[in-house]
Amino acid sequence: MEKNEIIERAKKVIAGVLKHEVKWEDSLTAADIDGWDSLSHMIIISEVEEEFGIKFKLKELNKLDRLGSLIDLIQSKVL
Amino acid sequence: MTFTSLEFIGFLPLCFLLYWYVFKKNAGMQNVFLVVASLVFYAWSSLFFLALLIFSAIFNFYLGIGIFSARNQNRKRLFLWLGVLINLLPLLCFKYFIPFFTSGPGFFGDVFAGGLMLPLGISFYTFQMLGYIIDIYNEEIEAEKNILPFAVYVCFFPKIIAGPIEPAQDFLPQVKVKRVFNYDLAVEGLRQIIWGLFVKIVIANNCASLAGPLFSNYMKFNGSTLFLGAFLYLFQVYCDFSGYSNIAVGVSKLFGIRLMRNFSAPFFSTNISEYWRKWHISLTLWMVKYIFTPLSFLLRKYKKAGLIISILVTFLLVGLWHGANWTFIVFGALHGLYFIPLLIFGKRRSLFTKGESGFSFNRILKMIALFLIVMLTCIFFGSDTLSHSLGYLEKIFSPSIFSPLQFSKPDKVKAFIMVGFICCLLIVEWLQQNRKYELQLDAIKNPYLRRSIYYALVLAILFFGSVNHIEFIYAHF
Repeated sequence: MEKNEIIERAKKVIAGVLKHEVKWEDSLTAADIDGWDSLSHMIIISEVEEEFGIKFKLKELNKLDRLGSLIDLIQSKVL
Repeated sequence: MTFTSLEFIGFLPLCFLLYWYVFKKNAGMQNVFLVVASLVFYAWSSLFFLALLIFSAIFNFYLGIGIFSARNQNRKRLFLWLGVLINLLPLLCFKYFIPFFTSGPGFFGDVFAGGLMLPLGISFYTFQMLGYIIDIYNEEIEAEKNILPFAVYVCFFPKIIAGPIEPAQDFLPQVKVKRVFNYDLAVEGLRQIIWGLFVKIVIANNCASLAGPLFSNYMKFNGSTLFLGAFLYLFQVYCDFSGYSNIAVGVSKLFGIRLMRNFSAPFFSTNISEYWRKWHISLTLWMVKYIFTPLSFLLRKYKKAGLIISILVTFLLVGLWHGANWTFIVFGALHGLYFIPLLIFGKRRSLFTKGESGFSFNRILKMIALFLIVMLTCIFFGSDTLSHSLGYLEKIFSPSIFSPLQFSKPDKVKAFIMVGFICCLLIVEWLQQNRKYELQLDAIKNPYLRRSIYYALVLAILFFGSVNHIEFIYAHF
């Protein structure tokens, strides 16, 4: 799957959970995004898993440090 | 020895001088000195349990290497679980099993009477060690190969009694290199020590002498007096622990080592989630990382229900972490329950909000409502038994809440002065909300005004300070 398509679909999922659009930049971290905290994190993760039909491991999630790495991880699983 | 004891007044300057003048040559010498100083500090208060602390340091050092270098995942997992078990065993024994089996009369009751059997700082250093080995298992950090920096990480005296629970990735890099004296950092540290001493000795200790008798004999007092008692008790706990934390961070800065901030004006929070991000921050972060996140990950397919279960379990453990008493469990459970309306009814955007900023009527109302909830819940924290807490609450919610205060005249004056100091504390915290620490006064350009504030705090400590209740509450956790 193309990276741009993943970003678009992920953006929609995140906006659905947080109820606002995220101005996408690969370098953004959760702390930079209004409403993305430890409470909303797992809901976003679960929605992303459903959207792409994939399963993450906790170890993989612990290593995510920015939006770009989430997209890379999704891409590595949907290929 | 505590931060507010006479011994510490001699111990700290002596260590400071030896560290920067005698043992300054390299990181190794600095670390040897810090380990020896920390062990002396620990032995002074808890010689009996020094061996347990040393065991914990050595065991976790080699365990970390074992987990890191294990050839396969099964072996890693085996080492991890063994480590979790062995780390938790002393904590469970001393904090939960022994108090449980010795609560009645008998041999153990006599031997272990007075709570003397709780190793100092065990809840804090155990959690720190658990975090360390779990992070190695999760490949977030590498195991430390040099025992000296690791020993400093475990035993470092500013944080050994009551935290902050410091992540290894923040602490270890600082002690693996030679520390060079940084005047500005040391001055920052001194400012934090002054502020910490002020809130502990002036506010916490005086509030303790007012609130203590109310909690012990609540049945003799009316609702309004008990309401004020609950207010003073909440500030006693807050000023005691935030004061301790400021002193710990400040003392650490004198040795060129930064520790994390443990409190950040929690009473200006507008929801419970924000409150816990500002109250005992190091414990909250630990609980989120090692309990809430794995649990909510496991339960993620249940969406909000999974989140609710994860939060309730996390806060039950927060309560239990404080001790083997139903009052702590109820305290934790209630805080967990306060998240539920936020999760179920809140609009998503505001549900997960970081909190509001600025000064609006709506924000003030939310802050007051949250403060009252936290204050009333703290009655469970301060009571010996559940029936005691419920009796206290029942009297608050009785018509006697409208009766005049039942304080003696000197206590009334003292309470009035304390409310004044608490207002000063809140004003300082409000003005300094976005600063790194309360006494970061760089916005005040006039040096005489800055110095006047420091002198005013020192004078307040000398004139209004109380040397009763000198122990820190969290030193017993």
